[in-house]
Amino acid sequence: MLALRDIRRRFGQTTAVDGLSLEVRAGEVFGLLGPNGAGKSTTIAIATGLLAPDSGSVDLLGMGSPSDPKVRMHLGLAPQEITLYAELTARENLRFFADLYGVADARARVDELLALVELDARAHDRVSTFSGGMKRRLNLAAALVHDPRLVLLDEPTAGVDPQSRNRILELVRRLASEGKTVVYTTHYMEEAAKICDRVGIVDHGRLLDVGTVAELVARHGGQSAVTVERDGVEQRILTADPVAEVARQFTLVDGGADGGTGPVTGVRIERPDLETVFLALTGRSLRE
Amino acid sequence: MRAIAAIARKDLRLLFRDKGDVFFTFVFPVVIAVLFGFVFGGGSGGGGTIDLAVVRESDSTLARGLADDLAKDPSFTTTSFETREAAADAVRAGKATAAVILPKSLDAGLEGLFSGQGIAIDAVVDPSRRAEAGLIQGKLNELAFRQFPKLFSNSTEMKRAYSAARDSIANARGLSPTQKLLGAGMITAAESFSSSIGGEPTADTGAAPASDGAFFAPIAVKVEELAPRAGRPRAAFDVTFPQGIVWGLAGCFGAFAASLVTERSRGTLDRLRLAPITAFHLISGKAIACLVAGLLVQALVFTVAILFFGARIAQPAMLVVAAFAAAFAFAGLAMALAAFCRTEAEANGAGRGAILILALIGGGTIPLFFMPPFLRTLSYGSPFRWAVAAIEGPFWRDTPLSEQVVPLVVLIGIGFLGWIVGARALWRPFAR
Ligand SMILES: Nc1ncnc2c1ncn2[C@@H]1O[C@H](COP(=O)(O)OP(=O)(O)O)[C@@H](O)[C@H]1O
Ligand SMILES: [Mg+2]
Repeated sequence: MLALRDIRRRFGQTTAVDGLSLEVRAGEVFGLLGPNGAGKSTTIAIATGLLAPDSGSVDLLGMGSPSDPKVRMHLGLAPQEITLYAELTARENLRFFADLYGVADARARVDELLALVELDARAHDRVSTFSGGMKRRLNLAAALVHDPRLVLLDEPTAGVDPQSRNRILELVRRLASEGKTVVYTTHYMEEAAKICDRVGIVDHGRLLDVGTVAELVARHGGQSAVTVERDGVEQRILTADPVAEVARQFTLVDGGADGGTGPVTGVRIERPDLETVFLALTGRSLRE
Repeated sequence: MRAIAAIARKDLRLLFRDKGDVFFTFVFPVVIAVLFGFVFGGGSGGGGTIDLAVVRESDSTLARGLADDLAKDPSFTTTSFETREAAADAVRAGKATAAVILPKSLDAGLEGLFSGQGIAIDAVVDPSRRAEAGLIQGKLNELAFRQFPKLFSNSTEMKRAYSAARDSIANARGLSPTQKLLGAGMITAAESFSSSIGGEPTADTGAAPASDGAFFAPIAVKVEELAPRAGRPRAAFDVTFPQGIVWGLAGCFGAFAASLVTERSRGTLDRLRLAPITAFHLISGKAIACLVAGLLVQALVFTVAILFFGARIAQPAMLVVAAFAAAFAFAGLAMALAAFCRTEAEANGAGRGAILILALIGGGTIPLFFMPPFLRTLSYGSPFRWAVAAIEGPFWRDTPLSEQVVPLVVLIGIGFLGWIVGARALWRPFAR
């Protein structure tokens, strides 16, 4: 669906994208997970043809570079910034983009999208009067007017309330269920874990690894931690099979040299997640 | 086509929703036109002296006396011209309010004085200055009457007049013998009267000529209105309304020169670039919006001029053409600047700054004919000058079509050039 091959892009001294290659498969939700400044937006800009790479190539749908209007007809982008006309209404914004793409029956399409992002009640209000979450949803809707096959969402939940965030996440899953391919960038590992079929971990412009969340965790997450409490004393045990370890602990009379005495009074299992994966891959925390 | 129309519609909407843009594009021009109209109108209407171009074609005592008295009169500032044409040109160029021609026939007129023909003085007056024309006419009458005592004192000249009068009476067909006799008697009486006052100095009491005026045939000041292509407007508003339009076009220009930069900084340009359109579509959509806005300003200013200031448009069809050309030129210019400016600060600073200077030297605040010559020459470099020239022609100058062609061609040329330069400059980031 989308193939990036050995993309490089520098801005002066900073290397934003440093030899990045990836392949997004048709119909999947592909997450690009990385901290701020990792090069996610630059990668998206190159993938859409908005920015030329210093080297490397982009192929969309096997049709070639998105600099060809016929190719980029098939992609829709919701940029990281809200890119809407603040002094136009929600409807006017969508109608404008629909007209730009020559969408047939634009009126019906706009109605449909307004309903999809639950903004039909505010259709005639100017975007400048919207909340952050509403702007985000409209920003996303604007990427969909021409019904593209590939949708790129650059941090579509940045700066929104939890309720709007959940709506957006649901929307993304819904797009996937309708057969669209979605590229989703975020620095929230929970989001990536929740909605992405596959995740690419990016840092310093490099793709460190790609896979399903389970694959990544299996590869880089290491062991789970089981914390057992006896008589107020906690003991942390690393294991590949935490459930078995917990069961074993219940059979023991006491925790041995490092643990407390008496029966188990509490158990906590910590499974590795994308955060652990990121830490393992970069030696830094995603949340920094 | 649909994309271009969508862009144009969107940009017009945005223009109308920006209070600052609406003010500078639509309100400010009308304010300028009306305000400056009153300012200039108040200045030139009542007080001050009237500039007169005087052409003395006759060398007679009457002509010389009239010319001298005109020069001495505190109401006038006179300038002598050799020919009628030169004087008329001065009126056209606005250097004189009226031209007074003291023709050769003035002497013949004197000979016909007593046969009721009167003295014919020609005056060429700017039709916008009818009030001044009335004043000039009255003054000429007054001054002409003042000449008579001088004439009466000049026996040879008078004798010629009397004998001419006698001849004309004798030869007159419509007169009965009794009337002829009476007439001849009157002339003899007048002759003896004039020789009795012959030694007196110039009689210049205002009352005497005025009462005599009933007796002598009135001085016929034949006022010729200079064809409406006067170089000077009928009213100050004729100047200030085109100026208002200039400011309106400047407002459009400012709004649209900044609009591309705004799209860039707000990121909406990325969406436009992703859409299957070219830089030409984008520039054209914006240019059309700018063009429409420019036409709307002009329609508004002219509507105000017609409804509230009684403006009459000499050539409505040509005015529409001129308005279109002017708006087109500024749309093109706006696009060229828009494509080159990279930041909003640039567009606002360089764009509006440049336009301000161009508007000023192009006659935006000070009408061209008030400008010193070097500024007038400089103004050829300003598109505003061409816009004013194109609009004034069909608006009130009523210039022949042949004279309207140049400004129109210049404006349309500017428009095309800007359009193409803009699209080309935008092409680079667009083409990736
Ligand atoms: N237009 C630009 N000019 C200069 N530096 C840039 C530009 N865009 C991005 N960068 C730099 O490139 C790096 C990657 O940025 P970006 O792709 O926006 O990261 P992300 O989207 O992952 O937060 C950052 O260090 C950023 O400062
Ligand atoms: Mg980013």
